[in-house]
Parts: sequence; structure tokens; C-alpha cells
Amino acid sequence: MSTVKEGLKTFFGAIGSFFREFGEAVAKGDLFVKLSLIWMGAGYIRRKQFIKGILMTLLEVAVILYSVGFAMDYVTKFGTLGTVQQEAIFNLATMQNEFNDYDHSFMILLFSVITFVIWATFLFIYMRSIVNCYKLQKKAEAGEHINTFAEDLVEYKNQKFYITLLSLPVLGVVLFTIVPLIILIFVAFTNYDQQHMPPSSLFTWVGFDNFKSLFASGGLTITFGYAFRRVLVWTLVWAFFATITTYFGGILLSLLINNKKTKFPKMWRTLFVITIAVPQFVSLLLVRNFFANNGIFNTFCASIGLTDWLRDIGMISTSYIPFLSAPGWAHVMIILINIWIGVPYQMLIATGVLMNIPTDQLESARIDGATPRQVFVHITMPYVLFITGPALITDFVKNINNFNVIFLLSENVYTTTDQLMANSQASEVDLLVTWLYRLTQNYYNYKMASVIGIMVFIICAVFTLVTFTKFTKGDREEAFR
Amino acid sequence: MKKLMKTIWHNVLLAILAFIWLVPIVWLVVTSFSAYTGINTSTFFPEEWSLNNYKNLLFAADTVAQFPNWFKNTFIIAIFSCIISASFVLMVAYATSCMRFKGRKALMNLAVIVNLFPGVLSMIAVYFILKMLNLTNSHVGLIIVYSAGAGLGYLIAKGFFDTIPNSLREAAYLDGASEATIFFKVVIPMSRPIIVYTVISSFLAPWMDFVMAKLMLNSGISSEWTVAIGLFNMLDKSLINTYFTQFCAGGVLVSIPISVLFIIMQKFYVEGITGGAVKG
Repeated sequence: MSTVKEGLKTFFGAIGSFFREFGEAVAKGDLFVKLSLIWMGAGYIRRKQFIKGILMTLLEVAVILYSVGFAMDYVTKFGTLGTVQQEAIFNLATMQNEFNDYDHSFMILLFSVITFVIWATFLFIYMRSIVNCYKLQKKAEAGEHINTFAEDLVEYKNQKFYITLLSLPVLGVVLFTIVPLIILIFVAFTNYDQQHMPPSSLFTWVGFDNFKSLFASGGLTITFGYAFRRVLVWTLVWAFFATITTYFGGILLSLLINNKKTKFPKMWRTLFVITIAVPQFVSLLLVRNFFANNGIFNTFCASIGLTDWLRDIGMISTSYIPFLSAPGWAHVMIILINIWIGVPYQMLIATGVLMNIPTDQLESARIDGATPRQVFVHITMPYVLFITGPALITDFVKNINNFNVIFLLSENVYTTTDQLMANSQASEVDLLVTWLYRLTQNYYNYKMASVIGIMVFIICAVFTLVTFTKFTKGDREEAFR
Repeated sequence: MKKLMKTIWHNVLLAILAFIWLVPIVWLVVTSFSAYTGINTSTFFPEEWSLNNYKNLLFAADTVAQFPNWFKNTFIIAIFSCIISASFVLMVAYATSCMRFKGRKALMNLAVIVNLFPGVLSMIAVYFILKMLNLTNSHVGLIIVYSAGAGLGYLIAKGFFDTIPNSLREAAYLDGASEATIFFKVVIPMSRPIIVYTVISSFLAPWMDFVMAKLMLNSGISSEWTVAIGLFNMLDKSLINTYFTQFCAGGVLVSIPISVLFIIMQKFYVEGITGGAVKG
């Protein structure tokens, strides 16, 4: 945990020094730096960086226009999420029903969050530009060279190349991942569900009520607490087995294929790759019909007498084997089918890594008289684990969120017989995410879905924090350079 | 002699594994040639063979099956989102692995945190944002959905870049190369395996996904669908008995371009990066 503490320390340290620099710039800056507090371009134009000055001025004008002209309509209602309910009013002039000027709670939430992000970004740029103006002032006072606009641009190919590389990907992530997440986190604290669907009705803040009903137990109508515990346990069991089996299965398979004894390694690799060349929704839907209650595999099992034998020993009470439709059976089958679909992927990754083992290390080990087993244990395996180690954690998190496999194998096939689960629209093979999906798509229960989403995040965060720090220790990054 | 036995046993083991892995695929292929249109539950191989499924799928598009359109749509979406996502991943991986700058660790930690949220959760809000931009029911919207967040999947590529020796880049610096030149001329050419991996996985994403596509393309106009939604729709309870074999034929046809591409790329993949550089 010390790395976490250190991380927090550097994080707040960075924020502190950012504000200190800003304060120093404001206090010690000349007239133009101070003028920049109101007119952002001033400091640049004073140092003859006209293009930068104009760009900054334009940015400032744009943000002010956006805030006054558009954002204020929404942000001011953020506290209540709207008060005016939609009503149809008969308009005598047009002889038609018309809606009043109603509030749309979701739009208020959406535009408020977007505005907050824009404001935060702007504030950062604003403070940075003042610090930069102050730096320019100091340079000018010392008589140093001040970059022209062209020289500034060249920097983005060199020292600042990372900004060039990162700006677009980061923008994409902010707009289409972070903003939606913030919105949905807010939804967890509202009563946005089927009874409160905009535009016809409003929703509003309810504090921690949704979290309370997730942990509440007892009662027959509100069974979210019960369903949550059941689904959570299966999610963790599934993620553990799905990750471990495919990870080691993949490494073993790639070692098997890349072994010197293997004839035609390329052919074998291609055969396994074909399995993943078929899109999952085809292969999984196919497999689901393959193992259906009246499917071909059941016919096969019946004809070799397996079904009768299982009935005799009391494993099943039906005339078929309920591979994907009974608890227990479905759980095991889903993990087995996941091995089928996941191992070739891991095999490819492991193959790529195995191909890139620095041969000089292997060579020198061999010269030192190491046996193949020693080379494997002391060089190959540590190397593979080092490269793929971080992927192991991300795989675990991915499996907690593995929507495709569970959804495609269980949707319309598995129906729960547990009334308490059914009351909360959950089933025994559901992962938290498939449950979340069903709540939003079929039952419009956005508030509970958001709460479950936050719980998923917390679970993933705990697992990651415990393990991740081990793999990202600064020195490990350089280990194989 | 003992060595020979070991080799045979080794290859037999591989053959058994490959057999298990291929049974469903073989079933897919043989069912696609079945004359009966529903699910054959009594025999593995169809009792009567026919090419009708392919003929109907390719040349006799009806309101349910619009395979040529779906294929075209998915292909266009996949190409664009593959280009964007693969570049995003490599860009982020290089910046975080090879460059040192203020806030690098903070950025990486933030990426980890964001990755921990389930993607399904943000889907609903993404839908509303795209609706605001008037991009739902459009292929541009889908391309954005598939590629905008791609930068978050940089960890594997970064792990690879971490193994490239510093000495290579330092030598290039001494020759007066800029950071951009090093990225394009030194690091990218020697990173073929990871580029291939990145390209494959980002090209596959649109072919595999149907949740997002189903949410985004909800107008019900089947000619605008992607392969995934179209084929998924064929297995609807009311349609499965007339379209199951066409579904299999569609599955086979979809897998062909992906497999071909894959095998071409696998050559690069296996070659590795042993030639030339200090490495290896």
C-alpha cells in the first residue's frame, strides 16, 4: 500500500506546485501578465507571440459565449434537475396540442456535465497560459531567445511529441468514456427509472437511497440485496476461473506448438486461430444450439447412454442433459466454453512474446551449461510473465465485465426458477454487467443499473489496487532494456 | 526410438486438441450446406446437401436477410475504426513507454481507473451524446463508438515497447533524429508483431460486437445493419427454423475475410522482429 500512498503524495504534490507556480506568476508578473488574467492573449502579444495571443483570445471568447449563451440554461437547474413537468396545452391559435416549455432532466444532467468538463479544461489552460506568460517575461528580462510560432510547432515533433501523440486519444476517451461515466455515476444518486422517464416526467436527486436498497435484505418485493450477493459471488468465481484457465491454457498451448518436436507448427496455429476467426456471436450462438436441451449433443449423449446413466445416478431428473439451462451445469459449461473461445487468443499473445525473447540471453545461458528446463524456468517463464503479467490483471477485470460470453450463452436459454432472483430481474448465471444491461434495456431501471455499475467499479478497483502496483513499479519497466 | 515416440505423442496430443477445438466449426460449415432450413438435431452431418443457403443469402436478399449490405456496412466500419483505433493504441503506447514527461504516471493511473468501469454502463450515456450530435443510426456514429476509447487498450503494446532497448533510440538521437522520426522510422518498423496484434484486434471489434451496434442502429431498417445484428436477428425464436442454416452460411462467409487477413498477417507475426536491430 506504500506505493498507493506515494502515488497520492506525488499527485497532490503536483497539484500543489501547479497552484504555487500560478500564484507566483500572478504575484511577480508584470502588467501584461496581470492583464492576461482578464484578456488571455495579452502576455503573449507583449512578447510578440501574436498567433498564440490571437488563438488564446479566440478560445476565451468562445468559452464565454458558450457559457452565457447556452450552458447557463442547463447548469442553473443542475441542483433540482428541472422543476417544470411536461404538459400538453391546447393552443387555440393553432388548434393543436402543444407542449409547455418543460424541463428535460436527462438533458440538464448531460449538458451540465459537459459544461463542467469544458470549464475544468478551460481553467487548466487559463492557469497554464498565465504561468507561460510569466516564463516568457523572465526569458525576455534575461535577454534569452523567445520562440517564434514556427519554432513552437517544431517542439511538438520533439520534446513535446507526447502531446501530439496523446491529444486525440485522450480527447476521445474524455468525450466518449469519461463524460458518460460521470453522467451515469450521477444517475446512481437520482430516481431515474421507469416511473421517472424524461421527457414525460422528471427525475431528481435522492441521495444514497439506491445504495441502501442494494444492501437491504429481507422482504419479498425488494430483493436486490439477495440477488446482488448471489450474482456477485458467481461473477467473482467466473472471473477467476475464466482468467486462470485461458491464461495458462494459452501459454501451454503456445509452448506446445512452438516446441521443436512439433511438425508443421504454422498449420496447428492456423487451425486454432480459425476458432477465433469466427466472430463470437456466431460461434457462441452456434455452440448454444449445439448444447441445447433438444440439441445435437444431447442426441449424441442419449445414444451412447450417458443421459440414462446420469439419470440413474441422480445427476439429472429430466429426459435431457440441461447443459445450459440448469444451475450448476450451466456454470460449468460456460467456463468450459470460455476455454474454447479464450485459449487461442492467449496462445497468440504468448506466441508473440515467445518469439521476442532476447536470444542473447538464451544463448549465454546455454553456453553457461543451463539445461533446457533451467532455461525455461529462469528465463522463458519470467520473461513471458513480465510481458503478459499486466494483461493478467486486465484480463481478470475484463472477465468481470465479460458481457459477450454470458449474454450470448444464456439470453433466452436460461430462465431462473428462484422467485427472489426473478423479482430483481436477475438469474443465477448473470454477471453483474449482464444484469445491469437487462435492467436498463428491458426494465429502464437506470438508477439501480448505475449503482451496480459503481459496485463493479469498486470491486475491480480493489483487485487492481492490490495487484497492479506490483507490476508497474518504475524499475520493472526498464528491466529488459 | 524413444525420441520418435515422444515426437509422435506430442503431435497426437496437438491433433486431439485441434479436433476438439474444430468440432463446432466443422458443424457450422456442414450445416451451412444443409438443405433443411432449421436446426438439425439428429445427425451431425446434414442428410441432404445443398447450396441454397449461400444462393439465398448472396443473391436473394429478403426483408430479413440482407447479407451483402450488412457485409459492406461492417467492412467500411471495421476499416475506419481499425485505422483509428490501431493508431490511437500505438500512439499512446509509444508516448507512455518511450517518453518521459510530467503527469505520465498520473495519466496511466487514470487509464487504469477508467478501465475498471464496465463498458456497458457508459453505453446508455454514449447513446444520448451521439443522439445529441445526430449520429445515432449512422455508421459514422458506430465508428466513433468503436474507436474513440481505443487509447485505453494500450497496455499490451506498451509492454512490447518496454522491451525495445533504449540504446537504439539513443543512437538515433545522436544522429540528430527527432522524436517523431524515431517513432516512425525506428520503433514502428521493428514492432511488427505488436502492430499486427493491434490491427487484428481492432479490426475484429466491429465484426464481433453486436450490443453497441444493436443499441446504435435501432431504426429497424435491415439494410443499414451490420453483419452481427443481422445474423443475431435470424436466430429470433420466430425466425430460427427458417433461417438457421442461412445463419450458418453467413457465419462462414463472415469468417472467410477475417481468416484470410489473419493468415496473411500471421506471417509477419511469426517472423517476429529478429532481423537487423540490436535486439536478438
